[in-house]
Amino acid sequence: MTKGDKFLILFIVMLSFLSFAYINRYALSDQERYVSVQVNGQEVKKILYDDQLLGHTIPVESEFGYSLIEIGDMQVRLAEADCPDQICVHQGYVSRIGETIVCLPNKLVIEVKGESGEDYIDIMNY
Amino acid sequence: MRKTNKMIFISLLVSVGLALSVIESAIPLPIAMPGARLGLSNMVVLVTLVVFGFKDGIKVGMLKSTVLMLVTGSVSSFIYSISGAILSCILMHIAYKYFSKVFSLIGVSIIGAAAHNFAQVSVAVMMLSNTRIYSYLPFLLLISLFSGYFVGLSSTYIVENLKKNFRVLFSRQETI
Repeated sequence: MTKGDKFLILFIVMLSFLSFAYINRYALSDQERYVSVQVNGQEVKKILYDDQLLGHTIPVESEFGYSLIEIGDMQVRLAEADCPDQICVHQGYVSRIGETIVCLPNKLVIEVKGESGEDYIDIMNY
Repeated sequence: MRKTNKMIFISLLVSVGLALSVIESAIPLPIAMPGARLGLSNMVVLVTLVVFGFKDGIKVGMLKSTVLMLVTGSVSSFIYSISGAILSCILMHIAYKYFSKVFSLIGVSIIGAAAHNFAQVSVAVMMLSNTRIYSYLPFLLLISLFSGYFVGLSSTYIVENLKKNFRVLFSRQETI
């Protein structure tokens, strides 16, 4: 076992851990995410992330109340809402697929969804 | 060494590799992961590379996968295995010939195992046309470290023994 071998082992361990972390962070969860805005169970808006949308706010008005959605860097939050408890506003940003912001008084649900979540591999066999 | 001797020796190596491939499928792995194998037959390819050189090494690797397909009857695994055999053989040859001062046989074997896995996953990506399969590669690389290490260790012993007991193999001048 030479020094080169040890270096190679260390290199491969680091490479696999780093790429694993990278895949977990970006590649798998980055796929075509969009924000689904639902009022009273009906999807009223579908927001796709875009660089031009960065920092923009989108108002959502319905008969149940008024809320203001703010788009961040691949994340979304409720900037304002006229509900009494403000739980939805205090929740802050959500970014990962499946995360939701719920505002019960306004009957508003903001959900981060994955576009192509259906063909995710369950199992593979060689 | 005469040509016939060499041919017989190489075919013996192929059959040993074949037997190892069949036996290793009977050995359970501690981790249940599809595609993860012990890679014992890589030992044979490595020994051939060291003793006979690149040409015969890649011959043994390809013959082994071809005959294994005939034995097991699974064509899809043949495509994975032959692509892995070719790439790992090429990389092991480069590592052994030009970087033998840096890597011992253990390092060479780890390179081969990693290349084998990389080629297999790449072929899977092409066949299923889904690049997300690459996310599986880090796990396979980690496992290939262990199997590569032990394969390298055992082939070190094999080559030592061959040098002691089969000196005729290493006298290149008499080769036709």
